[in-house]
Amino acid sequence: MSLLRKERANVKRLFSLTILLVIGLLGLFAPVLMPHDPLAVDISKKFLAPSWDYPFGTDHLGRCVFSRMLLAIRYSLGSALVIQIVAILLAILVGAFVALKRGIVDYLFIRICDILLAFPTLVLAFGLLGLLGPSLKNVLIALVFTQFIYYSRLIRGLFIGLNEKDFIQAARISGTSGIKLIIRHYIPNLLPPIVTIVVLDIGKVILEIAGFSFIGLGVQAPIPEWGMMVNEGKQYIRQHPELMLYPGLAIVLVVLLLNHLASSFKKLG
Amino acid sequence: MRLTKYLLPFMLVLMFSLLTGCTSNDHKKGETAPKQQTDEKMITIGWPLDVGPLNPHTYLPNQMTAQAMVYESLVEYNDDGTITPKLAESWDISENKTSYVFHLRKDVKYSDGTVFNADNVIRNFNAVLANRDMHSWMGMVNHIKDVVKVDDFTIRLQLDEPYYPVLNELAFVRPFRFLGDNGFPKGDTTQDSIKAPIGTGPWVLTDYKKDEYALFSRNENYWGEKPLVDKIKVKIIPDSESISLAFENEELDLIYGRGIISLDNYTYLKDSGKYKTATSEPLSTRALLFNTQSGPLAELKVRQAIQYAINKEQMVDSITHGTEKVANTLFWDAIPYANIDLAPILYNPKKAQQLLDEAGWTLQKGEKIRSKNGQPLTIDLIYIATDAIQKPMAELMQGELAKIGVQLNLEGADVMVGLQKLMDDQVDINFWRTNGPPTDPHSFANESATPNANGVYEAKLGLPNAKEIDNKIHQLLVGTDEKERVQLYTDILTMFHDQALFYPISYETNSVIYQPYMKDFAPRASEYDIPFAQMDKEK
Repeated sequence: MSLLRKERANVKRLFSLTILLVIGLLGLFAPVLMPHDPLAVDISKKFLAPSWDYPFGTDHLGRCVFSRMLLAIRYSLGSALVIQIVAILLAILVGAFVALKRGIVDYLFIRICDILLAFPTLVLAFGLLGLLGPSLKNVLIALVFTQFIYYSRLIRGLFIGLNEKDFIQAARISGTSGIKLIIRHYIPNLLPPIVTIVVLDIGKVILEIAGFSFIGLGVQAPIPEWGMMVNEGKQYIRQHPELMLYPGLAIVLVVLLLNHLASSFKKLG
Repeated sequence: MRLTKYLLPFMLVLMFSLLTGCTSNDHKKGETAPKQQTDEKMITIGWPLDVGPLNPHTYLPNQMTAQAMVYESLVEYNDDGTITPKLAESWDISENKTSYVFHLRKDVKYSDGTVFNADNVIRNFNAVLANRDMHSWMGMVNHIKDVVKVDDFTIRLQLDEPYYPVLNELAFVRPFRFLGDNGFPKGDTTQDSIKAPIGTGPWVLTDYKKDEYALFSRNENYWGEKPLVDKIKVKIIPDSESISLAFENEELDLIYGRGIISLDNYTYLKDSGKYKTATSEPLSTRALLFNTQSGPLAELKVRQAIQYAINKEQMVDSITHGTEKVANTLFWDAIPYANIDLAPILYNPKKAQQLLDEAGWTLQKGEKIRSKNGQPLTIDLIYIATDAIQKPMAELMQGELAKIGVQLNLEGADVMVGLQKLMDDQVDINFWRTNGPPTDPHSFANESATPNANGVYEAKLGLPNAKEIDNKIHQLLVGTDEKERVQLYTDILTMFHDQALFYPISYETNSVIYQPYMKDFAPRASEYDIPFAQMDKEK
């Protein structure tokens, strides 16, 4: 029974992974694949219906929606990946440090985390963006910061959980140094939960980036980003609902696939 | 297990029936409303904000449109820029232009039956002037020395020095409008609250539920032409999408104003062919304000090049869906003193490129952006992030300017942020708009010579004739000779035009969309006057 379940989870994971990979590759090769310049404005071609030339039609400024959707993968999915990777790497560094050091450093760290975690991540990010001003760079900084706080606390907990395990004690007694201990013994054992959390949160981060862009705090015009495209399409929802639908569906699809992937990881773990 | 299997469909059916129950209820409400009107005619309008306490002497949360229904001014400002009698049937201005004598109408009664006379007018003036700071934005307030009674129906307004726009400012919707004696609170502290909204206007507030609706009935004591319908209901609907839907369901008879519903909805309703639409004469002007303090825009040729590079006609037409008209001068012809001959700058990208070449901003081989002494030609523009028109316009201009080798960087921000950045010389271009009648162009002139006001003072600091402009503005505000004033306005507006300080884009209008059973009426070019008195319906 459990074998079957595992098998199923594997298939599921493969399915999500393949589609996400394809989307990722589309984003990576967007400059080659785009049929038109996604930033080129030609108002005489506004609101064109889908055609071979313009697979998704054109938007209110006559820009190719298909090209914009492709380029937006870089800003939506790409930024989310960058945020997650940077945040988790920082978190591992800091989390491992305090977990191994303990004492007053650990105590202070936990108190600071408690205070910051008392705010919902979005509120915290809002505050940071208010200070830094709206731009993609600042959204990245704000989200890396909020994710980092959350993860470093989590990773500290995971590390401490392992501290008392026999194999760690054994490694310690045989004289393994701090960094080696972390890389050889802690990380390999903590990889499954860390990967699950990171993957699960990519979806959340994509939604947050989209949310910030939607309210005008994130990516600035004319760069395409799904949340921003939804916002632009909102103005024309009565007559051209498809302008809002394409990026909206793209967000839903990617977030669903990511959650799916994460849940299959969880089952494996 | 069995139970849960049936639970979901059951719940779905239950919820669905509840939902349909809700809608049919709503529908009934909608049906009964018109039935009540069989003997009485009522027009329902949707408005996004509550009408407020209807205090004639204060500002927000009072809605200007509602204040204008209940209270009237001494004089009236018309769409063509002329000023005609209202509660004052005539007036005399002294030789030195510091004393204004108003002869009040003798047949005016407040909605509660009390008489409108000199004592009451002076009581209102005193209540307003007790708070000069609050109203100091209105230049006249700083110049009023005294308001005295001459006889029961004559008052004299005494100024400390000549200030020509007195009549325009008296015509404005607030604060110089008149509250009946029974409406005054203890101590006449109208800045805090009033006892009751008693005015001389054509409408009386008869029923009110905060944030839901305000019902106005015809003022039976009204001295002027009686409105055609008995009642006006202002329904408060905060969401613009809901206003459109309510209109489609015939819960509203009309939608009136600028930006009440989205352009998308407006075009959708208009294109459906089921409703009547109209737009007013131009109101205020949408423009770009160039910061000449530093950067590439300190050069006249760069400012001109930008203006030649943008296909304005196409931009305004396609983005505003015809609700705004292309502007080639800063003020619409009907604005007083603004009807002067200025050569429009028309779309000519070749000329734009030529101007940039002349200014030394050249395109190097293989480059997309022009440069001068190694500096690329990049310009920053701030738009209001939530504005549905500014953003696409900004993006369009970005595309057009890229074609002539100018890189336009966009930043979406809050209104005040943009203004502050311009004043601090941190941005090159801002979106900007005029105040509109009845305070233009004198409020524009006044603010343009005042630091920390509307940004024009700071933006023009780089102009060679900035000092001269300031001097002329001061002269025209205190000058007494009409001919001289015309000349001064012509000079100032010509200098601004020649220096290409502004890029006029479009004239904003009031647009109205109304049900086919309503009789035709013309919307007014005013931020606050909705012509309810001329509205009627056949149903």
